[in-house]
Amino acid sequence: MYDNGWIPTACYQCKAECAILVRVEDGKAKEIRGNPRGHGKVCVKGMSGLSLEYNQDRLTQPLKRVGKRGEGKFEPISWDEALDMLVGKLSELRDRGEAHKLTASFFPHSITDPKWRFLNAYGGFINTALPHCDSAKIVAFIKAMGGVPNHHIPPAFFTTPKDGVMIMAGRHAFGCLDDAAVPRDILDAQARGAKLVVLDPIYTPDAAKADWWIPIKPSGDTALFLGMINYIIDKGWEDKEFVANWIREGDFDKLKDFVKDKTPKAMSAICDVPADDIKKLAKMCAKAPSVGVDSFKGIMLGQALDFGHAWTILLAITGNIDNPGGQPLPDLTPMSPVEPTPAGPDLHELGWHRTGPDKDKFAKYSFIMEPTWYEAQAIKNGGLKVLITAECNPALTEMGQEEWRKAVCMPGEDSEYQLEMLVSYEIMLSETSRFADLVLPDKSYFERWELLYMPWWYNFGQGVLLRQPVVEAPGECRHSNEVFIEMGKRLCPDYFQFKDDLEYYDIQLAGLGLSVDKLKEMGGIWSPGTMGFRKYEKAGGFGTPSKKVHLYWEDLEDIDQAMPRPILAPEYDADVEDYPFICISYRTVFHQGSGQWSHNNPQLRDSVSGMYTNPLLINPKTAKKLGIQDGDKVTVSSRTGQVQVPAKVTEGIRPDCVGLHHGFGSSIGRVASTGEGVSDNLLIPDSGMTLDWQDMVGGESHVSTRVQVTK
Amino acid sequence: MKQLSLMIDLSRCIGCKTCIVACRNFHGLVDHAAAMPNEIPYYLRVESRMEGSYPKLSQESWVVPCQHCKNAQCIKACKSEAISKNPETGIVHIDRDKCTGSKACIEACPYDVIQFNEEGGFAHKCTLCQERVLMGQQPVCAEVCMTDAISFGEKDQLKQQAMDQGREILKKLSAQSIIYVR
Repeated sequence: MYDNGWIPTACYQCKAECAILVRVEDGKAKEIRGNPRGHGKVCVKGMSGLSLEYNQDRLTQPLKRVGKRGEGKFEPISWDEALDMLVGKLSELRDRGEAHKLTASFFPHSITDPKWRFLNAYGGFINTALPHCDSAKIVAFIKAMGGVPNHHIPPAFFTTPKDGVMIMAGRHAFGCLDDAAVPRDILDAQARGAKLVVLDPIYTPDAAKADWWIPIKPSGDTALFLGMINYIIDKGWEDKEFVANWIREGDFDKLKDFVKDKTPKAMSAICDVPADDIKKLAKMCAKAPSVGVDSFKGIMLGQALDFGHAWTILLAITGNIDNPGGQPLPDLTPMSPVEPTPAGPDLHELGWHRTGPDKDKFAKYSFIMEPTWYEAQAIKNGGLKVLITAECNPALTEMGQEEWRKAVCMPGEDSEYQLEMLVSYEIMLSETSRFADLVLPDKSYFERWELLYMPWWYNFGQGVLLRQPVVEAPGECRHSNEVFIEMGKRLCPDYFQFKDDLEYYDIQLAGLGLSVDKLKEMGGIWSPGTMGFRKYEKAGGFGTPSKKVHLYWEDLEDIDQAMPRPILAPEYDADVEDYPFICISYRTVFHQGSGQWSHNNPQLRDSVSGMYTNPLLINPKTAKKLGIQDGDKVTVSSRTGQVQVPAKVTEGIRPDCVGLHHGFGSSIGRVASTGEGVSDNLLIPDSGMTLDWQDMVGGESHVSTRVQVTK
Repeated sequence: MKQLSLMIDLSRCIGCKTCIVACRNFHGLVDHAAAMPNEIPYYLRVESRMEGSYPKLSQESWVVPCQHCKNAQCIKACKSEAISKNPETGIVHIDRDKCTGSKACIEACPYDVIQFNEEGGFAHKCTLCQERVLMGQQPVCAEVCMTDAISFGEKDQLKQQAMDQGREILKKLSAQSIIYVR
């Protein structure tokens, strides 16, 4: 079954899931390369996959909690016993009419991921395991342009023309979370004459290669874009043809009226970018053959809905929708449906109830991807009774991790805990496993079948990518997809009439005239490579009710978000006296999230080949004022917590900001628990404390936090 | 003189360290099950330099493998004559069978690129992937470089290529057999 040689499959060190080749020799994976039939590159995380695969901390059998939650004491049990416990609990939950109080938190590898199918069939909800998610941006795109929910579609940099403008707005594209080929493609575009502009309070590796680094104030991105929009309209530089043909009638006039007072000078006062620079960037964008903006949720502060809105407006009025170098529109691979298709629980009736007191307001944003927005709050509200986490680590990534930990340990009235069952599905014990009742041993991405297709990849041109096992899994590991299918067969058999995961994928692949076997023979990639620029022309318009781009959102009039608000996110003005600095949770290519894949990986924690610890980045001017020298141990405190960490004095950060790399601070794992790394989530206010703010900004204001720094 | 070389383009290197891990995997330098951070041998490292003050900054990164020196100090320092420079390739090679583990080469190396295997008692370092290049393949670092910042070839030819492309050859960094350009 396991061949020798270079086997094509898909990486899963991060959500980009690049196409890779793995060299296998006598049943052992030895080397990794980017698959030239894909984009041909793999990053340092992907290269370090072997140190994950053969890590001696790998889980090999199911475990059952024997101590209290949080103690991390377990005993081995059989799969039969584990599944009986889980299926028994889920039967009971459904029998009492509370199926919707199941949430499974995982990253869906396709829109028909078997785990997601199970949830829809059973009646539970998904949390996409991305607490730092860009859902608000997705909502902004759908409101403006319609179409399918797309997660993250960066500009296709390989299409950026000479003189095109590439704007990174708080986006660390060189971190390769879109595809490992992105840095090459950006540098190639620059070599053709395209310009790279990086908006970021931190001097990132992207900024180091940029034609222009603009160290903007965190969350100032909406103001900056509105200032640019004002200037472009004032000069009459808008793309008149696109505006006339593709923007809903009346919207451009409303925009004109709205931005009248959003002059570069006025916006400069908010975003701290000089007015002349706002004008210069506006002119660059208006005159360039293309503008593409790559961002996740804005500048490190979740003003994501307003920013997503402003960003869409800028691209629309400059005619940069679905053009080479501009904003690609998502497209779905024509797969066959697996009938019957489960509808899933009603979001409006049963979802969003975990967001605090103001459900109606929150529901307005239609956060389709995140019905279980904040797990800790949901548990406290009694809206979350069974939580299954797979390949995610909320104990270190949920905002306000201490509240999450408290919430999962809250005693219940009729049960031991308020959250009646917590299951951690992982390849190695994680911080989250410590709290779990059941720990299930997953197969790594080198050991399992999976069909990958999403309308959101950088490499969406690949269409479909096959992940196939290249080596055997250790011990009793079972892939979560296999187990969710088995749960489906036991709990909702009408929707699980296929034999196994492979047959499930075969049915879908029939839409392309393929099967798993055929796809495997083809080298694991079905990729016509077509993007279909300006698809809206052929399709008779956009997916909005008017078939045009909507710049004005009348459904958000009553909450004052019909047009993007230039204000900084509320966190920026909170307790300024006591907490004078903004701590930015930043990222690098070396670590993705807090998962053990990178943090318990000796090569990615090695100082030579990765990043060992996360010192506090601080500007020399600020350090001098505070009497801090490079390497000094400092205390960083916020409204909710404090950490001690060495200072790293660097010119590469705004003087009013400090920087802490996200994802460190694990207390479990042979490698992950070494070093002085700290968790940024100790500083970030619990989501439950700031629900009003979340509602106001249309997202989570949690990647920048007000802090004080003392020696 | 025959000299194989790498050309490192500082305008493309982003300091991602992908090459270091790929090199380790190929040369079997890491015990994936037992390795601990900061104890794993490596044949190349990333260096970088930031200049200027906020907000006017510039930063460059580059990789440092064995420089396969013209008159290698390690060869002179080795009393057991375990180190030699191959006249056909210019690759400086440590013969593991002859190495006595004196560490004299490590002391002598001005580039700090020689590793020592305590268990086996031998010195080892970048071989420019000799076993690959003799078969017409590139060294691993050049093959995997995420931004195509590393090119492989004969030194004079790479230099010619750099000049034809109007690149600046960084003389100080390029003192030995590895060429650095921007």
